[in-house]
Amino acid sequence: MPERSEFELLGRMTIGQYLPTGSWLHRLDPRFKLLMGLLLIIAVVATADLCGLALLFLAVLVGLVVARISLRFALAGLYPMLPFLALLALLQVFAIPQYGAGATVLWRWTILRVTDRSLLAGALLLARFAIMVLGLSLFSFSTSTTELAHGIEHLLLPLQGVGFPAHELSLVLTIALRFLPILAEETERLMKAQASRGADFGRGRGGLIQRTRRLLPLLVPLFLASLRRADELVEAMEARCYLGGKGRTHLLRFRAHPSDYLGLVVSLALAVLAIGLSMARAQAWLWHWVGAH
Amino acid sequence: MNANEEPLIRIAGLHYVYQAGTREPVAALRGIDLAIAAGEYVAVVGANGSGKSTLLRHCNALLRPTRGDVWVADWNTRDLQRVREIRSTVGMVFQVPDSQIVATIVEEDVAFGPENLGVPEDELPQRVDWALATVGLSKLRYRASHLLSTGQKQRLAIASALAMRPRCLVLDEATAMLDPLGRAQVLDTLRRLHAEGMTLVHATHHMSEAAQAQRVVVLAGGQIALQGSPRQVFAQEEALRALALDVPVPTQLARQVALHVPAFPTDVLSVDELVQAVSARVSVPAQVTP
Amino acid sequence: MSASTDLLIEVRGLQHTYLPRTPLETQSLFGVDLRVHAGESVGIIGPTGSGKSTLLQHLNGLLRPQQGGVWVEGVSLADPQADVRSVRQKVGLVFQNPEDQLFERYAGDDVAFGPRNLGLPPAQVRERVRQAMQAVGLPLDFKDRLTLELSQGQRRRLALAGVLALAPRVLVLDEPTAGLDPQGRQELLHALCAWRSHDGRAIVLASHNMEDVAELADRVYVLVAGRIVLSGPPRQVFAQPELLGSDGLGLPAPTQALQELRRLGYPVSAEVLTVQEAAAQIEALFHA
Repeated sequence: MPERSEFELLGRMTIGQYLPTGSWLHRLDPRFKLLMGLLLIIAVVATADLCGLALLFLAVLVGLVVARISLRFALAGLYPMLPFLALLALLQVFAIPQYGAGATVLWRWTILRVTDRSLLAGALLLARFAIMVLGLSLFSFSTSTTELAHGIEHLLLPLQGVGFPAHELSLVLTIALRFLPILAEETERLMKAQASRGADFGRGRGGLIQRTRRLLPLLVPLFLASLRRADELVEAMEARCYLGGKGRTHLLRFRAHPSDYLGLVVSLALAVLAIGLSMARAQAWLWHWVGAH
Repeated sequence: MNANEEPLIRIAGLHYVYQAGTREPVAALRGIDLAIAAGEYVAVVGANGSGKSTLLRHCNALLRPTRGDVWVADWNTRDLQRVREIRSTVGMVFQVPDSQIVATIVEEDVAFGPENLGVPEDELPQRVDWALATVGLSKLRYRASHLLSTGQKQRLAIASALAMRPRCLVLDEATAMLDPLGRAQVLDTLRRLHAEGMTLVHATHHMSEAAQAQRVVVLAGGQIALQGSPRQVFAQEEALRALALDVPVPTQLARQVALHVPAFPTDVLSVDELVQAVSARVSVPAQVTP
Repeated sequence: MSASTDLLIEVRGLQHTYLPRTPLETQSLFGVDLRVHAGESVGIIGPTGSGKSTLLQHLNGLLRPQQGGVWVEGVSLADPQADVRSVRQKVGLVFQNPEDQLFERYAGDDVAFGPRNLGLPPAQVRERVRQAMQAVGLPLDFKDRLTLELSQGQRRRLALAGVLALAPRVLVLDEPTAGLDPQGRQELLHALCAWRSHDGRAIVLASHNMEDVAELADRVYVLVAGRIVLSGPPRQVFAQPELLGSDGLGLPAPTQALQELRRLGYPVSAEVLTVQEAAAQIEALFHA
């Protein structure tokens, strides 16, 4: 018995889901959480070392635990990415062979080569992606879209004095986020309505042009609906005297607390440690240690 | 209305043409004269295409006349310097609930209007409190806006308009997309607002809703076809039918009864009035004891 | 009721849960039973959130039964091998605000979408378009008009034609008159009645607008919080005192008036649907 209809798409994505568990992490100032997220991204990119990445991975897992998110649920969010990730990793391993001093070729078949370095590159890629996905999920689990938009706006507010449109940017973000569930619902409704008329949304048959044409019954109404909503929203905003960010006051104001600074300091420390391990080539030491025993 | 008191909204010789100067201009309004007094509750009815929405959008300067003038309090809507004053005096609620909610959290959407007006930050929470309490959504203050029912969303839209402290609220078929419960909640809110002195202009094609107003304005083809108190307007059944409109169902029922029961009132506007009319003329038969 | 009372749709013990085994799990149907015979108009009344839309989506296979069963002309939708495409031709589902789904530039092309998906040859597609547009009362030359130029009422009838062009046996509609002005509503209801009057067809109509249901339905189910709480002919169902208080449903004014009079002790029946029937009841009080 089929337990899932072909149409229930939205339930499985973890990025973008907000799960208010009321944990310590949830209550941090969103500006600080943004900065912490930024540090994580920088650390992940700058760490070319499995030990460093392992540290960051552990840190994210600890973060999930602190945020009281079920680890199983968060890790399940990686499933939809796996095919894509596997492909990328394979590309990394095969198509970008790493030569250079000390690279040992482990396997060879016609023009394909696998060296120890390319294996490492593949592993690093997988690790980085996993950390990023989990980290982004952690961020969205613990930060509502409202906090996100406000965090961005208030971080950038000082720049408004020199003409940077901080509020406009944040409003664009808020509106996009606010209408995302609405558009998703409309998409699902449209898919169902067109399927009820026998539509088949391009299950891989025919050329690119044909498959795109098959999406028209979905794309055209969505586009029209979005345009219509945009018109309606503009009217509503004008009726409430929206004239841009200048001269606006704010209901919400953020005040930093000691725990916010604590979170930032911890993130900084972890980032520095991870990059440090990377620079010290910690994995090489680990390899030696393992080899010697 | 005090004869010396200026109307809150004054419309004189209003003509409006969409796409003027293109190949297919559409004359949506063709000469409207209307005065709305402070504290009045006016219902605007008319078939689709009669010009209801266009008329309403002239009341808060979203549209400006092609010919003629619209005054809100002391300001002419053509005056581009006074747009803020006009739009904070006349608030507007639109038909589609989702398309007028800007923020993700209820209280932030209510604050959007006053924030735009630069209301001082220590006054903002009070405005939000008051607006939410007036529409009965105080408990949902921190709720995500997309989780509200359609009726609640429209009440949120009303609160968001109220937060700017307008003197008048204009509603463009605000109940059209609501279920009966949502509609009842919104109508209830409107009654309460009117009782507290708010001026209301409510466009609808539910005749039973128009029946609760003080004055009904019937639009057809961009002009005012009929005007008067609900009882006066709904007495003109044939004229309304000719405009593809109807009278409230309780009124139809009363008329039907009056065909066979002499002196039965035909100007009944609601189920309650109908029931009262019956109970005033016929007493409940005594129980027959065997 | 027509002589052929074949059972077109049967639903037994249907349950449905959204997003099972996730933190957002919600059960929407708790064991629903329903039957639709040829020649019938069946109404499903329920407030928003009662599960009406979920139930309707089971009737043409968009949702498959998780527990319980749905049979369309004897074919069980619980069977993974069931030919869902043929079910979607036999049961035409019209969503709320169907004019939102129009996408073709020219009106006639949009009506032709369904028949083309069925793989019909062009001559037959044209014939289906012609019949469908006639059934909804749109002049045939509208097929060459730009879709966006039509009024809302016309576009809604066009969308309905798009489903009728599939030549279904059962037409299922979700809030068909939502947002229409009184004239548009009359035209739509008239078209539905006329379509149903042909042999072997049935209509299922889900709405919280009880006036619509009063006008069209022979039989009514009342769905509240995912359960059927009442069923029967509309006059009987509407007369139930429980329905008077629930604001989630708007009882038609004549029924409301008589229920209120009954409550006050007057010897009237609340089993009325139309203004005439209600007036007759009230007149009887005066002539007693």
